Amino acid sequence: MNKIAIDYKNIWYPPGGILIWIIIFLELFTFGAALIAMTHYGNLEAELFHNSRLILNTTYGMINTLFLLTSGFFMAVSVSELKKGNKVKFKKLLLLTILFGVLFLGLKSFEYSEKLNEGITVGYNTFFTFYWMLTLFHVIHVIVGLVILVSVYFGIKKGKSNTSIEDVEASAAFWHMCDLIWMMLFPVIYLLF
Amino acid sequence: MKNTATITWIILLVLTITSALVSKLESKYVVFIILILSAFKFFGIAFQFMEIKKAHVFWKTIIIGFIFLFGIGLLVA
Repeated sequence: MNKIAIDYKNIWYPPGGILIWIIIFLELFTFGAALIAMTHYGNLEAELFHNSRLILNTTYGMINTLFLLTSGFFMAVSVSELKKGNKVKFKKLLLLTILFGVLFLGLKSFEYSEKLNEGITVGYNTFFTFYWMLTLFHVIHVIVGLVILVSVYFGIKKGKSNTSIEDVEASAAFWHMCDLIWMMLFPVIYLLF
Repeated sequence: MKNTATITWIILLVLTITSALVSKLESKYVVFIILILSAFKFFGIAFQFMEIKKAHVFWKTIIIGFIFLFGIGLLVA
């Protein structure tokens, strides 16, 4: 693995690199604008949004939040272990990160199947249009994040790895971005209305 | 790092469960409390897990500014 001394205090080198942070802010502004639009429509159709929100299972949303936070915790600790040169521990922690990401997807799939069985699809009402669009868009990010983490795992596992610590940090930043987006989605979709 | 991350993780879990419990309450302050708790969770992930605390002040400011704008947006929407 290539080791590069990175000065994080330099404005051009935030942890993970500037390019991933440009992507992170683009994503945050996109989801943020959509959630503000959802709140706007929620104020116009307050009763419909309240009744629709009550159809959602808050416990599923909360458990999924705990899964993502736990995954993010393992990700942060794994990067720290890699910086210390402990590749074995890094790989174990990265597998735990991936496991909790998969658990998130599993519970989300179960929640989706329940909604589909009840006939609650994307066109059911305005609330559920936002629900499906925003949560599915987030799920796509989680799937992409998992693919990146799996590729990092195999990249580091190779005997002569050319994966740099900056590559791992950028991947970790993308994974944490999924947490950040969910921290915006969970309260607005599952709790506010 | 490990101790800080563990403490951050536990705080984030507690804040998540607290948010879910607060949402069941009947009060005009519920929305405000949920948004404040969510902002703390957001900062916990960004500053501790993503290590923005080590970054240039520009990145810290832009993260705080974003959440401030997002919160204002939700409240005035």
